Amino acid sequence: MRKKMRQRTGVIREYDMHSVSVRVWYAVIYALCIVMGIIAVFPLIWVVLAGFKDLKEFMSSTSLLPKSFSPEQFKKTWSQLGLAKNYLNSFISVAGSVVCALLFNGLLGYGLSILKPKGCGIVKKLVMLSLLVPATISIVPLFMNIQRLGMGNSFLPLWLSYGANAMYVVLFIQFFESLPVSMIEASRIDGCSALQTFFRIVLPLSKPICAVITIFAVNAAWSDFLLPYLVLRGGQLQTVMVRLFVFSTEQTVNADTMMRSVVFSMIPPIILFILFQKQLTENNVSVGIKG
Amino acid sequence: MNRITRHFRGKGMKMQDLRSWLIMLPGLILMTFFVWEPLLESIRMSLYKTENVELVEFVGLKNFISVAGKTNFTQALVNTFSYTFWSLVIGFLLPIILAMLIGETSRGKGLFRTAAYLPNMLPGLAVIILWSAFFSGGKTGVLNIILSHFGVSAQTYLTKANLVIPIIITIATWKGAGATALIYMAGMAGVNSELYDAAAIDGANVWQRVRHVLVPAIKKLTWTMLILQIISVFQIMYEPMVLTKGGPDNASLSLMQLMWQYAFGGSMDYGKASAVAVIVTAILLVMTAVYSYFNRKESDWD
Repeated sequence: MRKKMRQRTGVIREYDMHSVSVRVWYAVIYALCIVMGIIAVFPLIWVVLAGFKDLKEFMSSTSLLPKSFSPEQFKKTWSQLGLAKNYLNSFISVAGSVVCALLFNGLLGYGLSILKPKGCGIVKKLVMLSLLVPATISIVPLFMNIQRLGMGNSFLPLWLSYGANAMYVVLFIQFFESLPVSMIEASRIDGCSALQTFFRIVLPLSKPICAVITIFAVNAAWSDFLLPYLVLRGGQLQTVMVRLFVFSTEQTVNADTMMRSVVFSMIPPIILFILFQKQLTENNVSVGIKG
Repeated sequence: MNRITRHFRGKGMKMQDLRSWLIMLPGLILMTFFVWEPLLESIRMSLYKTENVELVEFVGLKNFISVAGKTNFTQALVNTFSYTFWSLVIGFLLPIILAMLIGETSRGKGLFRTAAYLPNMLPGLAVIILWSAFFSGGKTGVLNIILSHFGVSAQTYLTKANLVIPIIITIATWKGAGATALIYMAGMAGVNSELYDAAAIDGANVWQRVRHVLVPAIKKLTWTMLILQIISVFQIMYEPMVLTKGGPDNASLSLMQLMWQYAFGGSMDYGKASAVAVIVTAILLVMTAVYSYFNRKESDWD
């Protein structure tokens, strides 16, 4: 009985189920949800299946299923395109981005929510306003700045760009403001400096928000390709997404190889999703919404 | 002065403020370098003739006149509004409906949420390339394979000027609608389910409960999501860039894509690219202002 009560939180209540028409509607709702699920997942399954086809089969077969399920084609594409190197580049790019995202946005959020020095109100307003400003709109002058400083063909500008994310700063501010003041006061009385307090007290208390921002930043840094393309193009440091973008604009690879590259580019995000789906589908939305 | 700040006071307030600013300094420098300065710089650059990364000569509004005078600008402007229109038609109500449907399920709810959110995790570029295979013409296009089972002959999709924008919006909706639905679900979860019971005791049937309890509860959120969606669709760029290169015959060219073309499409005309960026920003500002005007009016009525 208790279990049932917990389960039904929607508009349709337990007692409504006595009515036949409501039961029919309920079945329709389930059917629609299942259709939604199929539409959401089908393209993903298809692209994996398509990856098993060689070029001839890909261009001529009208069957959705491949003839054989041997991983041969995947292995071939992986070694031919040298994707291992791009994978490594992507991982380096992601790792640095996450560190920057946590450290710089965290410190800024700490200053704006807990330390609150004189005059920080205007900075907080500026950060809030930056939420509305689209990132790509100033990509041209940003790219020129990076060129002028001679930071082209390096991960540094990409890493640092994640240290300047208004959304993450706002998420940090919201979380820090909810921290118990007494803990921070206590650390001060124990003789910690403001910076020590941040690393010893504030960050350890902020694991949930750090986890959310880490997941966001990993996914964003992995998927990003516009600025990485401009900074890394032509060089040795190209990430998986930059390679994929070059393939798609220059059409230098065959359609079947392209689909396998797509599969390779999706593997890490999917693993991330499987590991953290609970946080992603339950946790982040409630914080994201306030931001 | 706030309680915590007082405790951090070391040798007088000024010293402490200085230290706090020092802690924020790295973040501030990065925000300036990556967000604030480029934004102002793009306004300045739009007024200059550029050569490579140098600003050569102040030319006033010449870049704007030259950009706006071309037919591809008018086309891109119309297309961008068309993207926005179609995204509202296809992608605005869908997440709300999805959220309502998933919200009513009991068994398998977690599974539906997971499925809905999954496309949002996939890299946008990979999603576009993946869907290009779905909509490719000829009999090996996935959609054509599926349609052939229903006796429909092979069609072309992305080469049809009137179809290309709705198709791109459909793809973007596939990627984003589920994640948006979860945001609405969080909003709907804010309704205490005892309210439904109370309404039921007052004789409200299921539909009436949806109309008078659930819908009012997410009204404010819906307004916010509306402006967020408009702002984000208005900047659509890489989707048409990868899928159609703006074709057929500029039918899917967006304003931001035009900006990219000026800057990185070979001519390296950063001044003109910035002019386009400034125009897009101006339009977005106007739309946000109109929105907040109506939003204020709306909340006055409440």
